[in-house]
Amino acid sequence: MMTKQVRYEALVKALHGDLYRYAYWLCHEKQVAEDLVQETFLRAWRALDSLKDEKAAKSWLITILRRENARRFERKRFDMSEYEEASITDTKSVTTEQELENHWLREKISQLPPEYSEPLILQVLGGFSGEDIAAMLDLNKNTVMTRLFRARNQLKEALEAEPIKRGMYNG
Amino acid sequence: MDDLQFRRAIYADPNNQDDDAILAQEQDPSKKQFAQEICQLDEKIKQALQIPVPDDLVDKLILRQTLASHQVQKRKTRVHLALAASVAIVGGLVLNFMQFSSAYHNLGDYALAHVYHEQGNIANNASSQVTLASLNQKMAAFDGNFSQSLGKLLWADYCRFDGMKSLHLVYQGKTSPVTVFIVPKNEQLSFTDAFNDKDLFGSSLEFNHSNIIVVGDKNESLGKWQQSISETVSWSI
Repeated sequence: MMTKQVRYEALVKALHGDLYRYAYWLCHEKQVAEDLVQETFLRAWRALDSLKDEKAAKSWLITILRRENARRFERKRFDMSEYEEASITDTKSVTTEQELENHWLREKISQLPPEYSEPLILQVLGGFSGEDIAAMLDLNKNTVMTRLFRARNQLKEALEAEPIKRGMYNG
Repeated sequence: MDDLQFRRAIYADPNNQDDDAILAQEQDPSKKQFAQEICQLDEKIKQALQIPVPDDLVDKLILRQTLASHQVQKRKTRVHLALAASVAIVGGLVLNFMQFSSAYHNLGDYALAHVYHEQGNIANNASSQVTLASLNQKMAAFDGNFSQSLGKLLWADYCRFDGMKSLHLVYQGKTSPVTVFIVPKNEQLSFTDAFNDKDLFGSSLEFNHSNIIVVGDKNESLGKWQQSISETVSWSI
C-alpha cells in the first residue's frame, strides 16, 4: 500500500507539469486541462499496478489523457462546433520582448490544426521520437514526420510574415 | 541528400542526428545555417509551449487520489464487516441448531433415555404413594382423567420430555418400576408404537392430543398395561 502511494506521488511530481501542458494544448482551456489531468491521474492510480516499466510512464499517462479527452468530446460534442481558438489568457503582463514573442507564438500554435499541433507538442514538450509519437497517435511514422514538417513549416512562415505586425501588440 | 529532403528532415525533427543529415550540414554551410534557424525556432516553440502549471496542481492530484483510495478502503472495510457479520450469523444459527434441536428422532429413543436418566431415583419397593386424586389433578393439564388407579403409583410429576411439558408417572412393577409418560403430540419426535433395548421395553398409545408411553422391563406385560390405560383414561375434549 505504502509503496503504491510513494510511486503515485513520485509519478505526480515528475509528470504533472508535462501532462498539464499537454492537456492544455489539447483543449486550450486551463480549467478543462486541469480536470483532464485530475481524471487521468485518478485512472492512473487505479491502474498503477499495470504500469510495469516506469520509463513508459509518460506515454502511458498521455495515452490515458488522450482517451479522457476523447471521452470529453463524446459527452459534449457541441463544444467542437464553434470553438473559439486561441483565447489564451496570460496572467503575466507581457512586458519583455521574449514574453511577447511567446504570447504571439502560442496563438500561432493554437491556430495550427490539431493533427499538426499534437505531434509537435509531443515531440517538443514530451521529447518523444517519431516512432513513439506514431505509436501513441496510432499513425504510421511517415505520417507523423510529414505532420511535424508541416507544423514547423507553417509556424516558420507565420513567423516570417509577422514581424511588421508584431509591434501592434504594444499599441 | 538533396535540399528538399534535407529541409523536410530538419523540419520534421530539428535535432535530427541521422548520419545523412549531419553529413549534409557539414558539406553545405547554408544547410547548417538552415538547421540552426529551425533549432532556434524550436527553442522558441518550446518556450511558448511552457505555459505555467498551477502551483497547487500536485496537491490537488494527491488529495483527490487520497480521497479516492480512502473511499475504496471504506468500501472494503464495509464489505469485511458484512462478511464478518454473515459468518457470525451463520455460526449462531448452527450453534442454535445444534443446541436446541432434539438429539432424538422418535418418542421411543427419548423415552428410554429419560427412563435411564431417572432410573436410580425411585426404588420399586418405595413406600411413597400418590393418590388417584392428585394424579388426576396433574392430568387436568392434559385434559385427561384416570377413572381408577393402574397400580401402586410411586411418583408423579411434570417433567420435560424433550422440551415439552409432560407428566411422568412411576408405578410399582413386578421387578422394577414401570414408567408412564403422558406427552403432548409433537412434530419433532415421530411416533413409534413399540421400542426396546436389551433391558427395557416400551410401547406407545396414540390419543387425540397426547401420547401415552409405557416403559418397563421384560417381566412386565406391556400389552396389559396398555389395555388398562386405554380402559381407565378418558379425555375431556
